[in-house]
Amino acid sequence: MKTKILVANRGEIAIRLIRAIQELNYEAVAVYESPDKESRHIRIADEAVWLGNGPRCDYLNIDKIINAAKKSGAVAIHPGYGFLAENPDFVKACEDEGIIFIGPSSEVVSNLGNKVIARQIMADADIPMVPGTENLSPGDDGVKEALAFAATYKYPVMLKATSGGGGRGIRLIESDDQMKSEIPVARAEAKAAFNDESVYLEKVVIEPKHVEVQIMADKEGTTVHLGTRDCSIQRRNQKLIEIAPSMISDKKLLDTICETAVKAAKAANYFNAGTVEFLIDKDFNYYFMEINTRVQVEHTVTEMITGIDIVRTQIKLAMGKKLSFCQDDIKMRGHAIEMRINAEDPKADFMPEGGKTVSVYRSPGGYGVRLDGFVYQGFTIPEVYDSLLVKMTVHGFSWNETVDRLRRCLQNFVIAGPKTTIPFYLNIVKDPDFVKGDFDTSYLDKHPELFDYEDNANEASKLANLIAEIHHCGHNPYAA
Amino acid sequence: MERIVQGTSPAEVIRQLQNSDGYHITNTARDLSQSDFKNRILLHTDLLAADARERAGYFSLEITGGASVHVDILRKQVDPFLKLDILRKKMPTTMFQTLCRGVNLFGYRPYPQNVIRFTVKEFAKYVDVWRTFDFMNYIPNMQAVFEEVGKAGKVNEPCICFSTGPEHTDKYYLGKIQEILDVTGSDIILCIKNHGGLGTPKRIGELVDNIRQKYPDLPIHYHGHNTDGNDIGRIVAAVQNGATIVDAGDASFTGFYGPAPILSVVQTLKDLGYNAATIDEEAVIETSEVIRDERQHYHAFESQIKGFQPTVQIHKLPGGAMGSSLEQAVKGGFLDKMPDILHKEMPRVQKELGNYWSVTPGSQILWTTAVANIQGGERYGNASGDLRNLLLGKYGPFPFYEPEDWIFEKVLGSDWKKVLEEEGGVEDISDMDIDKEKEILADRIGEEPTDQQLVLYLQHPNDAVEFFKFEAKFGKVYVLPPSIFLHEGGFEAGETISFTDHTGKEHRVEVGPSIKDEDGETSVYLNVDHHQRVYTFEPELAEGAVAKPDTISKE
Repeated sequence: MKTKILVANRGEIAIRLIRAIQELNYEAVAVYESPDKESRHIRIADEAVWLGNGPRCDYLNIDKIINAAKKSGAVAIHPGYGFLAENPDFVKACEDEGIIFIGPSSEVVSNLGNKVIARQIMADADIPMVPGTENLSPGDDGVKEALAFAATYKYPVMLKATSGGGGRGIRLIESDDQMKSEIPVARAEAKAAFNDESVYLEKVVIEPKHVEVQIMADKEGTTVHLGTRDCSIQRRNQKLIEIAPSMISDKKLLDTICETAVKAAKAANYFNAGTVEFLIDKDFNYYFMEINTRVQVEHTVTEMITGIDIVRTQIKLAMGKKLSFCQDDIKMRGHAIEMRINAEDPKADFMPEGGKTVSVYRSPGGYGVRLDGFVYQGFTIPEVYDSLLVKMTVHGFSWNETVDRLRRCLQNFVIAGPKTTIPFYLNIVKDPDFVKGDFDTSYLDKHPELFDYEDNANEASKLANLIAEIHHCGHNPYAA
Repeated sequence: MERIVQGTSPAEVIRQLQNSDGYHITNTARDLSQSDFKNRILLHTDLLAADARERAGYFSLEITGGASVHVDILRKQVDPFLKLDILRKKMPTTMFQTLCRGVNLFGYRPYPQNVIRFTVKEFAKYVDVWRTFDFMNYIPNMQAVFEEVGKAGKVNEPCICFSTGPEHTDKYYLGKIQEILDVTGSDIILCIKNHGGLGTPKRIGELVDNIRQKYPDLPIHYHGHNTDGNDIGRIVAAVQNGATIVDAGDASFTGFYGPAPILSVVQTLKDLGYNAATIDEEAVIETSEVIRDERQHYHAFESQIKGFQPTVQIHKLPGGAMGSSLEQAVKGGFLDKMPDILHKEMPRVQKELGNYWSVTPGSQILWTTAVANIQGGERYGNASGDLRNLLLGKYGPFPFYEPEDWIFEKVLGSDWKKVLEEEGGVEDISDMDIDKEKEILADRIGEEPTDQQLVLYLQHPNDAVEFFKFEAKFGKVYVLPPSIFLHEGGFEAGETISFTDHTGKEHRVEVGPSIKDEDGETSVYLNVDHHQRVYTFEPELAEGAVAKPDTISKE
């Protein structure tokens, strides 16, 4: 019997993981909740285990996932991103049950998931960091500490939930009054969302670039980096577009950042694949932000420029292999851009378009184009999960070639049914600042004109619908 | 002579007209569409004509108003505001003109004052010249429109509706003009609205001359119809006697009941020494050439009976109502009774009901009553609600004399005097709660309506909602040419249909097979921009397709 690996996720990442598992000649066990019963990840997997009606609660249910692994005979679990991917209790449960967790140890996940501990580890290793506090003391003492911090470093400051992440649990504070009123609210929210009411403060870096470094480490502690990614184009701290490598022209600076990332990973005793995130300010000072202990959505851009299959490497490392390449083996070639094509209406504040059926799905292809998706023509998008339909990653030898390719692919990408981010992205690839590679985290705020496009993706099929009616009735029933 | 351009203030427009050393022409494209093509000329065709029409140098282009606002949303599936907006972009100079039915706006019954004001305010953003009339020549019915047009800084062109008969004297009309001027002040254009094309050239000449004598500075705009084939005669007489502006249409689309051809007017008057100074004859000719080939696609909407109708002088039906009346006769199977209806009953009813002006909505009352009188057996035995309202004075007082008592008795019942006392008089319609209507509309269309959507909804609530739903489903269909939009019969298998959508993107639709399954459901296969698409139709849809009754396009 082949070795089985359970994929504890859904959507495009489940398919991405299943592909790597099958390429390694293992069998992939999928899990699913009822709303996902038509999902393609189930059909591609070698077997699938139904977890329950969900929604979401079963993908988040540690016991059910562990049981599914045991029942199916899976020796390892790949968590993907989101859901249980960075939950130390889940990692611990795997360890306790003798199931290989494809990722770092529960201790590392736990340490790096706690923002305050993570900062302490990095401080000890002399990694540059944005000035910040430890966990604020409970009650009024915490407020006093916060006000003192703000007095030293000046507003604005970020109030963050210690157990938050992925853009959640963050508030911008601009005055003492706001600080006093927001701290209790933030605590209550953090308690509700993460079951941990601790919060801390960080100085705000104005309009930074978001640059991250992909790292890989084997169990012997050999740690390498796979270069940088720029994830500055975000909406409300959610990434939309990711680029590898960073467009910062100072290569020495990027090298330093990459070396710092390796140093940070080593300081955390890091194992497997991870991402070290940095903020870079206008003066090109860089600050450690956090280490994500999972495979990132945007790992594809790094794969395109390095030629290294990150998920395959993750599995091999977890199965006890050593890194088969050293830092000098890793070469970056060209540029890659990934766009998250979401079923969302950018004009309506990115309102999800779940519940709609994909009536037409025509994807682009050709040289330098990669698609990681899971929807198909006729698929009804479940309303209860995230709105990512497909990640489109293009690779080109030069930046301009890559942008040209991206534009061509967006123009050829037809999704009818739900509104998508495609027309919005089409505006981005035509924007002079984007074409120049000039963007930071304030990009969308500074380019409101990007939202100015016509929803004409379906216009032809709408008009064709009238032509069909005229053809069918033998006259235009709406003009009679 | 300088061309009067869009954006000029009313006072300056009047001054330029007073000082002009020739006459001007209004291209009444809307009236042509309504009179000879049941209002179906599509925006697509008007857009083809736009460039040449813009260069032709008209005083104005009448392109909205009358029944067109309703037909735009009901049959042409185009937003009347968007239509004006798009045309304005292609025609930056030419003034746009509307025809407004006063208190009846673009419909058939009086609207509340606040709806009138709101509607005029929204349309005035696009419309420069407001030709306003009341079918009873009851001036108070037009007052709210005058005021809103004035507030918007646009040109008021009040009408005296014209007809013939012993009561229709110059003295009467001069009195009406004074009533108008008392309300509007002197910065107006006066329209002689000859919607039936009635009277002889001599008669029109006399009227214009008399107005000119009494009001030498008042610019006169003669509006006529060519139903009897003789409007050029009347136009010539009007200009000879001092009319400043006359109406005509593009020759390649002229028919029988609409305007006379522009070029014929220009040529005839030129030989008489009158100069259409701002008119570019080449552009006038070019317009006709550009749209000539489109006419074939409107074939189904042309009059069932061909030929001029000099008998209009007897039945007095307005040009705008001729086509739809004949269509009703064909559909109702009483085409053979038309001579009786038109030549005997119409003049009789006309006289019996006070010899008022046969124009919307009054012409519908005359027509419906005449048809009912002939078809129903007993005269006035089956009176419509509108006739009842007319007798009650809801539309305004009878201008010359009241109908005889027996008609009141027939229509209102034996206690008609009491009914008249209790219910009679001009209707005082209370204001509508527009905010509440807006909420209702938002509920019905599932989004916050724009002011323009709300205006359309207040005119024709159900038809407007149907139109908004249509647009959501089928997109902006005004981009389709009449050869597609008004296509008769199915398309050929393998036929390729190309069109450019409203954003300028070109599309290609290839017609594939239609396959009917055992349940009668039909799947129509189209290849849209190289993507296969299937449109399915329920069995009943094929039969239910002719759903809406055809009762509009009247004037």
